[in-house]
Amino acid sequence: MALMREIEWESCLLPPVPAPELQRRFQREVGRPGTAIRYFADNPWAAEVLIRLSVEMENRVELDAELADLVTLVVSQEASCRYCFAAMRTLLRVLGMPEARIARLEQDLMTADLNERERGALEFARRLARSNPLIRASDLEALRRLGYSELEIDELVAATALNVFFNRLSTLCALPPFRMEELPDRWYMRMFRPLVAMKLRKLRRHTELEPLRPEEREGPFSPVVVALDGLPAARALHSVLEGMWASPTLPRRVKALVFAVVARALGCDRSEAEATRLLLEDGLAREEIDQALAHLASPALDPVERIAVPFARETVWYQPAQIQRHGRQVLETLSREQFIELVTVAALANVVCRLGFTWGARG
Amino acid sequence: MSGSAWALSLAGVLIAGLAVALHRHRRERARLRGRLESAASELQKLQIAFSRFAPDAVIERIIASGQEQVGEKKEVTVLFADLVGFTALCEKLEPPVLVGILNGYFERMSQAISAHRGRISTFIGDGILALFGALEPNPWQGDDGVRAALAMRRAVSEYNEELRARGLPELAVGIGLHRGTGIAGLVGSRDLMEFAFVGRTVNVAARVQDLTRHFDTDIILTETLRKTLDPRIRVVPLPATPVKGVAEPLSIYAVERVEEAECDRE
Repeated sequence: MALMREIEWESCLLPPVPAPELQRRFQREVGRPGTAIRYFADNPWAAEVLIRLSVEMENRVELDAELADLVTLVVSQEASCRYCFAAMRTLLRVLGMPEARIARLEQDLMTADLNERERGALEFARRLARSNPLIRASDLEALRRLGYSELEIDELVAATALNVFFNRLSTLCALPPFRMEELPDRWYMRMFRPLVAMKLRKLRRHTELEPLRPEEREGPFSPVVVALDGLPAARALHSVLEGMWASPTLPRRVKALVFAVVARALGCDRSEAEATRLLLEDGLAREEIDQALAHLASPALDPVERIAVPFARETVWYQPAQIQRHGRQVLETLSREQFIELVTVAALANVVCRLGFTWGARG
Repeated sequence: MSGSAWALSLAGVLIAGLAVALHRHRRERARLRGRLESAASELQKLQIAFSRFAPDAVIERIIASGQEQVGEKKEVTVLFADLVGFTALCEKLEPPVLVGILNGYFERMSQAISAHRGRISTFIGDGILALFGALEPNPWQGDDGVRAALAMRRAVSEYNEELRARGLPELAVGIGLHRGTGIAGLVGSRDLMEFAFVGRTVNVAARVQDLTRHFDTDIILTETLRKTLDPRIRVVPLPATPVKGVAEPLSIYAVERVEEAECDRE
């Protein structure tokens, strides 16, 4: 794992806080220890998002579970997320994947021992995660030619999107990957691997399609949610977005600005238009929005917005250590609860705006 | 020796032979795996090195298409920096001292540029050609370029304090900035290729940089770039000046500073 371990990574921005109740809930609902939730426990909405989306990481309707795991590995590498990569590498090792195969995947997707179908899916996931340029609906054709069903494509999109979210959340807070990177090579992990593998396999949940309810098809950025209609992830995305707008820690205007900046950076016009609509509703004038988006600053922005806007821009493409240092500066000005909310909102904005190509995919 | 004893001995010899063969096979496999991992590690290093010169998307397109002719038209902000009076400095200083000063300068300039999302395209002698918006879409490329130039001004000033303390001559830098379209792609010969941005925009930035000597200022930008800038970036108009390769005299500005509160940016 030389490549990933060589990535510069700052010490954790958020010392963990004791949260036994949340940890128990995480264990109950997700099925594995929720140590990471201790970092986010100070913000109830963010903790809720972590649980809700972690559950979705284990749900599959039709997509092959191993392929979904490889998506996590490849997307985490694309985002230079040492934490998520180390977690997935550990999981794959426990499930029996040889280290040599993981290393080959890490070194080069093109020469790794994958069949054409798998390689096509992983390349798509990587391109979606990078979104430079944004995926277009026509890019899905290649997956169809490889024999993927519409449902599998939707699941692939959702699986990638979830990883985009977790990569950012972990990287922006610099969650510590170091112990996890050593874990697969520990003697006790090797000794108890079959038992742990058995337990982990039980977590994989085969779920049925769950169409969205009418009220879940409404709200800001709903076309992105509706595009994934049927997948449990669509319902989860709707729920976390609703919770995000409702959470009182940061005003809605700050969140809409974060979405608008991320959309501008990615070149997602439809997401930018939706965020602008919200900003107009929240009292910013058109010229003020234009100025804020053109120069990442405006006299109309309040002190929190002046911090959030340039930070949001950094969350689109970044070097981990660089954005972690910027995050540390932000944390000096905001409260811990506000900071957690800001990074969670930025991570969601990166998901939603990267899924811009799905706008209007379904009525 | 009885028949069964012969059979046992033969079996023993066979088993021993098999064990030796197995051991050799394992050793050979381990050796080959070691070589494979070493080769893979070399490949990794090459990939990392290559990725410093060309964006991932370009590398992938080259791999996917099998063609090296990958290029695209882009709007980019170009920063061209050059040391003032460097030739005279070369004549005064011992080569190791000069190289040390130059490397310290390049290191600081690289940091200032990358901190503002710029990418150094190439070092040309003591000159630096940096691009903003060439690798990934960057709607804030103009502001980034000017902020990088201001960061370079600060870095040179700090470096000069250090040089002064060591009894070494101080440096002066001239920086030219321009924004325009050109072709970004891999250019060069089969032996030496680099990711570059080519076109008139680069030439104009270089010519504008030359004008810093004429106007005795350190950062000059063009009207094309100024129109896109954050209004808090304070500039002073300079007389329109003809430059080689441009039909009309060029409207140019000297950059003063950014007017912003501490909490705003950076």
